[in-house]
Amino acid sequence: MSDRQLADWREHALKLESEINKVVVGQESPIRLITTAIFARGHVLLEGDVGVGKTTLLRAFTRGIGGGYQRIEGTIDLMPNDLVYHTYLGEDGKPHVSPGPLLMSGEDLSIFFFNEINRARPQVHSLLLRVMAERTLTAFNKEHHFPHMLVFADRNQVEKEETFDIPSAARDRFMMEIPIVVPGDPAIREELMFNPKFHDVDALVGTVEPEVLEFDKVNGIARIIQNSIDASQTLRRYALDLWTATKSPELFGVQVSGVEMSRLIISGASPRGVGMLLSAARVNAWLNNRTAVVPEDIHAVFHETIAHRLVFSPVYEMRRTEIARELLSGIINGVSAP
Amino acid sequence: MKTALAYMQKILLQCVALCLLLSANTGLMADEIRLPALDPKLAKINIVEPERDSGYTVGDLLTRVVTLEIKKPYKLLDTSLPIVGYEKRYQGQVIGIELRDIRKEEQEKADSTVYKIALTYQVFTRNVVAKPAALPPEFVKVQGGKDIFEYRIPSWNFRISPIAVFGEVKLETDLSPFRGPVQKTDKRERIILNTALVVLALAALGLIYILGVHAWLPRMGGPFARAYRELRKLGKLPASDETLKLGLGRVHQAFNASLGSSVFSGNLEQFLQQKPVFATIRHDIEQFFDLSRHVFFEQSDAQQFGAEQHEWLRRFTRRCRDCERGLKPGKQV
Repeated sequence: MSDRQLADWREHALKLESEINKVVVGQESPIRLITTAIFARGHVLLEGDVGVGKTTLLRAFTRGIGGGYQRIEGTIDLMPNDLVYHTYLGEDGKPHVSPGPLLMSGEDLSIFFFNEINRARPQVHSLLLRVMAERTLTAFNKEHHFPHMLVFADRNQVEKEETFDIPSAARDRFMMEIPIVVPGDPAIREELMFNPKFHDVDALVGTVEPEVLEFDKVNGIARIIQNSIDASQTLRRYALDLWTATKSPELFGVQVSGVEMSRLIISGASPRGVGMLLSAARVNAWLNNRTAVVPEDIHAVFHETIAHRLVFSPVYEMRRTEIARELLSGIINGVSAP
Repeated sequence: MKTALAYMQKILLQCVALCLLLSANTGLMADEIRLPALDPKLAKINIVEPERDSGYTVGDLLTRVVTLEIKKPYKLLDTSLPIVGYEKRYQGQVIGIELRDIRKEEQEKADSTVYKIALTYQVFTRNVVAKPAALPPEFVKVQGGKDIFEYRIPSWNFRISPIAVFGEVKLETDLSPFRGPVQKTDKRERIILNTALVVLALAALGLIYILGVHAWLPRMGGPFARAYRELRKLGKLPASDETLKLGLGRVHQAFNASLGSSVFSGNLEQFLQQKPVFATIRHDIEQFFDLSRHVFFEQSDAQQFGAEQHEWLRRFTRRCRDCERGLKPGKQV
C-alpha cells in the first residue's frame, strides 16, 4: 500500500515541480529543494538579492500546495501580537478583536509566508521560534495548533538599514536556507526581460495549477517517506563523519583560503540540523525513485541544510557566505564514503 | 805637493784604523757565541739515522732520532733546540737543508734525564750529478746550576742524487731509481671516492623512490596499482560480502587518492575531466559506482554477491591501473 502511495505522491510532487518551473524559470535547483523541504516538513528561508523572484517562487508554491495561506510583511514596527490578532473600532463604535494572520486560517493554515523576515524585530523572531518548532501558539487562553503549517520566509542581505540579524536559534528552526540567484543562461535572461508574461506577477502565479497537493495529507506521506527510505550502516557512518567535520573540519584536512581553521567555527551543525539533513536526504532519495539514501542525496541538500546553522567567529562573519560555501564544499570533498 | 801627500797619509791612516776596528769587533762577537763544551761523561748520545744515505733529491724528508741522556742536575734548555723552518748554512751559504719538524719527549730517570728528539729535515736542493750533503750538526745548551754548556749533536753525511742521468736520458723517459716514488699512492682516496659514489647512488635511488611516491618507475605504484595488488591478495580469501566490501572500499580509496578528493557518482564528470585517461572506461566506472551503491547503500535481500562480482572488480581495477599507467586497458570480460 505504502509503495503505491509513495509512487502516487512522487508523481504529485514532480507535477508540482513542473508547474512551478513553468512560472519561475531557471530555478530548477531551488524548486527541487523547496519540494524536498515540503515533504520533509521543514521551513524554508530564501536568501537573495532584491527582485530575483523569491516572493514569486514562494507564492507559486503556496498556490500549488493549497490550504490556508497567510502572509505578513516584516517591518521594523511589527510586534508579535500583530501576528496573533488585531484590534479595530467596529461600525458599532465598539472595539473589536479579530484573529491575526497566524490564527485566521485555524488548523488549515498551510503556508505562512513571512516576507522580508530580517526587517522584523527580535521579539517577532522569538514568537516564530515556538510556532516553527512546535506548530502551536497560545492565545486568548487557548492553545492553537497548526499541524500542516510551513513557514516560508525570505530576506535580502543587500540592505542593512532597519534590518535585524536573525538569531542563530531562529535560523536553526529553518530546515533550509536556499540562495536564489539570477539565472546565468542568456536565453532565460532574455525571456525574463522581454516576455511580458513574467512582468505581471499576479497573473503569472495564477497560471500555476492550484492545490496540486492535498495539503492535509502531506504530513502522512512525509511520515511514510521517512519510515520507508533506508539508511545503511555505511551511510550512517558517512553522515556522522560529515557532522563531525562541521565541528572540526581540520580533522578531515579541510582548508579554507585565508582562514585559520582552528578559530573558524564556534559551533557546528546541531543535532536538530543533522536530523533535518537526513530527513531532506530521504525525501531527495524518494524523489529520485530510490529506496535508500545514498551519499549523493546528502550532497544534494547538504549546503542548504547546514550552511545557515554554522556559527563562525565574529571576525569571519562578514565573509560568511563565501566561507560557508568553500567550507562545505571542502567537507564534501574531504570526507569519503565508504 | 807636501799638502797633498799629507792629505793622502791622513786618509790612509783612517782606512787602516777602520780596518783594525772592524776586525776587533768581529772577534769579540765570535767569542760571545761560544760556550764551554759539556763534559762527555755527563751525556750519552744515541742517534738513529735514516735507513739509507743516498738517493735523496729535492722535497725528500729525512728523519733522525737523537736520544740524549744527561746526568742530573744538568738539564737540556728547550730554548736551545733548533728552530723549525731555519735554513741550514755552511760557511754562511745556504746548503738547501731545512728543518721541517721537531718533536721532543722527556723521560726522567733516577740520576739522569733522557731526551728523545726526532728531527725531520727536508731537502731543498738538487744536482745533475750525485753530490755530498750533510744534515748539519746541531748545538744544544745544557744547564747545570748557574753554568751553561754546549753540546754538539754530530752531523750526518749523505748523498743528494740526480733525478736523471745528466745528458743521457730525458727526464720523462728514464727515471732514476734513486729518486724514490714520484707519485703518492691514491688507493685510500680511491676507496673513499668509490664509497662516496656508492652512497650517493643509493641516496639518489632512495630519493627517486620517495619522490616517485614509492614507485621505481614513472607511472608505477599509483593508487590503482596499489589497490590492484591488494585486491589480488583479497582474491585468495573466500568470496564473501565482507571481502567484496573491502575490495570496493579499496578501489574507492584509489579513486579518492587519484583525484585528491572524494569521488562519487555525482562528481564523476569532474574526475573524468581531470583524469581524461580514464574516459575510455567510463562505462566500467559507472558500473563500479552502481555496484558500490548496491553493496553499501541499497542492498536488498534479493541481491546476492558472489565470486562473479569479485572477479569483475579485480579486472576493473586492473583496467584502471592500465589507464593510470597511460596504457591501453585490457578488454573487460
